Amino acid sequence: MPHQRNSSIQNPEALERQRQYELFQESLPKVNALVYQMLLNEIIPLSSHVENQLQTIPMEEFSEDQTESQLKDLSLEEKQVSNPSSSDQLIYKLSQLADEDENEFNNTLKRVRDIGIKLGTRLTNLLVFTNNVNLNFKEMDLLLIMKFICRDVWKQIFGKQIDNLKTNHRGTFYLIDYDYALIQDFCIETNTIPSQLNEEVITSKELKLVEPFLELPVGIIKGVLLSLGYPLEEVICLATFIDKPREKIRNGFPKGISFHVQITKPNQQQ
Amino acid sequence: MIYSFWIFDRHCNCIFEREWTLANSNNTNAMGNGTINSKQNDEVGKLLYGMIFSLNSVTQKLSSSLSENQINNNIRSISTGKFRIHTMQTATGLWFILVTDFKQQNYSQVLQYIYSHIYVKYVVHNLLSPYDFALNPKEQRGQGIKRINNRHFINSLEAFLQPMLT
Repeated sequence: MPHQRNSSIQNPEALERQRQYELFQESLPKVNALVYQMLLNEIIPLSSHVENQLQTIPMEEFSEDQTESQLKDLSLEEKQVSNPSSSDQLIYKLSQLADEDENEFNNTLKRVRDIGIKLGTRLTNLLVFTNNVNLNFKEMDLLLIMKFICRDVWKQIFGKQIDNLKTNHRGTFYLIDYDYALIQDFCIETNTIPSQLNEEVITSKELKLVEPFLELPVGIIKGVLLSLGYPLEEVICLATFIDKPREKIRNGFPKGISFHVQITKPNQQQ
Repeated sequence: MIYSFWIFDRHCNCIFEREWTLANSNNTNAMGNGTINSKQNDEVGKLLYGMIFSLNSVTQKLSSSLSENQINNNIRSISTGKFRIHTMQTATGLWFILVTDFKQQNYSQVLQYIYSHIYVKYVVHNLLSPYDFALNPKEQRGQGIKRINNRHFINSLEAFLQPMLT
């Protein structure tokens, strides 16, 4: 990171660097946002599938209790002719797993989170830290780092900034994204017409399905903090659903996301 | 006036059906009159698809013998004494079908909009929807039962078509 004086934007040297940075940003290859989002989302069913396969491999003989349902889904006959593990089926299966096999469910979430952490450390290093004259990490305190996540990291990865950042100034932060980009078009498929069903039941099922998708941004936040010197075990990050403000309720996903970030040893850095 | 709207997938299955004229027998439908994905329309759907499918194969055969100049000779609409059927086939094998009265000549833009702004957004880009509505080979030859039952899709389709209903 080049040394940088505060408020030096008027300075011609800094202006030049700013211009260079903008040129650098423009020179980066552009990726279609939709394709990128779809790929990011595929991480979740993929992790679920991997975890599922790992559970079955070490067992020579299928024990009855755990794999009876898997046997039904993966019986050889059916495996040859159809693909039992399309993404949507994996997602529905994963949300069932939350009740049936907590261990495998948590392992899947951890797998997703780990991918997020790797993505977070690498993408921010590649895209955000490089040549960005507006960042000076030497003097950054936790609040500035959080602001950096809200503005630069979120913008780079999800194409928009975090909507709201709240803090108690003691190491606890709430990063609120009312329309988290990756899940905006998600909507549960039911067996009958949705208007015949209880709306609350549908919504709670839908939220349960979407929950694993939130582990990815959680991982990314942890990854960024890791790359700035906050080890994983000192950072608690949880994602929860919150209500949207009224003016934001339109066609998108019905809930906003709040990321609760807590640094357990905030003073060690200084 | 629009009477009904249908989507068929490449396995000849009806994956969505909306009918505005039939009386609504058993459900409390928030959308007003008519039925959505109703069992009672299964037969009609099969006949409708069968007719369009066979007409289309006739027109394909005709066009292939006409000239090398391959313009797409898919059927766009069929008129009868009482109504007109507008169709659109996508390159991926989906059929979007609208049954209307004679008031308006051309509904191709309407169908195109439904495909590109509603179907793609809420079914294709929605990871919670299957990418293929036939779950196994038994459901592939018109035997499928899975329908689009996704409230965002239904709501935006309803909102889009509402002004054209009367």
